[in-house]
Amino acid sequence: MGKLSKKEIERVASLARIKLDEEEKEKMASELGAVLDYIDKLKEVNTDGVEPIAHITGMENILRKDEPMKKPLEGQAADAAKLVKMAPDSKDNFVKVKAVFGE
Amino acid sequence: MIKDNILIEGEKCTAASKILENYIAPYDATVISNLKQAGAVFLGKTNLDEFAMGATGENSAFGPALNPHDHTRAAGGSSSGSAAAVAADLAVYALGSDTGGSIRAPSAWCGVVGLKPTYGLVSRHGLIAMASSLDQIGPITKTVEDAAIVLNTIAGYDPMDSTSHNGELPDYTANLNKPVKGLKIAVPKEFFSKGLDGQVNNLTQAAIAKLESLGAHIDQVSLPMINFAIATYYIIVSSEVSANLARYDGIRYGRSANKAKSLLDAYLETRAEGLGAEVKRRIMLGTYALSAGYYDAYYLKAQKVRALIKRDFENIFEKYDVIVGPTMPYAAPKLGELGDSLSAYLADIYTAPVNLAGLPAISVPCGQVEVDGSKLPVGFQIIGKHFDEARILQVAHNFEKSRQ
Repeated sequence: MGKLSKKEIERVASLARIKLDEEEKEKMASELGAVLDYIDKLKEVNTDGVEPIAHITGMENILRKDEPMKKPLEGQAADAAKLVKMAPDSKDNFVKVKAVFGE
Repeated sequence: MIKDNILIEGEKCTAASKILENYIAPYDATVISNLKQAGAVFLGKTNLDEFAMGATGENSAFGPALNPHDHTRAAGGSSSGSAAAVAADLAVYALGSDTGGSIRAPSAWCGVVGLKPTYGLVSRHGLIAMASSLDQIGPITKTVEDAAIVLNTIAGYDPMDSTSHNGELPDYTANLNKPVKGLKIAVPKEFFSKGLDGQVNNLTQAAIAKLESLGAHIDQVSLPMINFAIATYYIIVSSEVSANLARYDGIRYGRSANKAKSLLDAYLETRAEGLGAEVKRRIMLGTYALSAGYYDAYYLKAQKVRALIKRDFENIFEKYDVIVGPTMPYAAPKLGELGDSLSAYLADIYTAPVNLAGLPAISVPCGQVEVDGSKLPVGFQIIGKHFDEARILQVAHNFEKSRQ
């Protein structure tokens, strides 16, 4: 592989919601290419019939009762108004976002 | 001192990223509430590689932490400031987080004790997530006994972290002085391959000989899959990073590109301005690996190889109590010496496999080497079975005492 194509870098950057300038695209193409070349060594490993890891110490399905909590767990959850205030832009206790549709 | 990716209510928590430069934590991490209940005093937050991504500490948006043993060298990452602070005697202990070696690497390079607990032993509620199937909080201390004392306070089940372990826990200080006579210790030959520095090798061999002289039984073993650990690790980490860091969108908290007109532009520009080069690289790699058509070849393949790496360790632990070897392949490098990201990734060769298998491990100082006129500390790594922290602490404490 060696290097990813500019088109591929642009596709991935758009999925990742990161704007890259031309210089960054060029650098990313060769750096990611080198890492992917290294990672290609995984192809040497025969994994036929191997179950992929889901949880490393073997936990599964941690569930709680489907009931509303009477109070925040252990008093650790922050209250909603405080969290809304952390947003860069808010109005009347709502988080404000930019226009979803263009002009 | 607390690594600046762990939340303390009312204090800034930046994760060493510009995107969280002015973020004030709205609640305490569970480890912080536990320490507060035990009467701990917090002296400050410590530097790290941005979002804990790095082996040297140089990826911080606010400049690297310097190694107290030589200010021209890296402290090690990603818990760089935590290890440097303890080594420089600025604090009795610190907390770090370890995803692929981030507690053990800086502890080795700064000459202090660093413990990475079993995956799930310590709650991650309030830890800024990097790779959730690997992340774990642990102590960085001056002595093994201190590590056991801090672990007693921070370990345990937490309803706010559904991956935390719900079971009886021992007093981790109880068995520290129990002799290691008769313990079965495995030494994987892959830990001594060509990447290992000669002087570090000598000190590691001396540490193993010391344990043998204390009555432990030493055997050489093989962990053949280790050679695939770094490739596996970087696919899993980058994939999980790309998902976890999607939350930094400039809408709910943190930095926001306020000149953007549309929502999409706001995402693109906030992330372009706020995230550093290594973070972008990993998000890109992970997004690529998880994108349509590549999932099976990369992420799924890596999770299968991970199962084989875990099996390698399980086979050894059927017959042995602990596995030992070097923590890092060489002593602290000069700032800038590691250059490209792939060589920095390879520094994790002895630490990352432990996270992939979810095991506990401790790095304990085993001597100093001389590099270009500087005396630099070296760490010795002791790896245990799942939830067998008491055992690795016992071996580490016996080793530490034997050196005094």
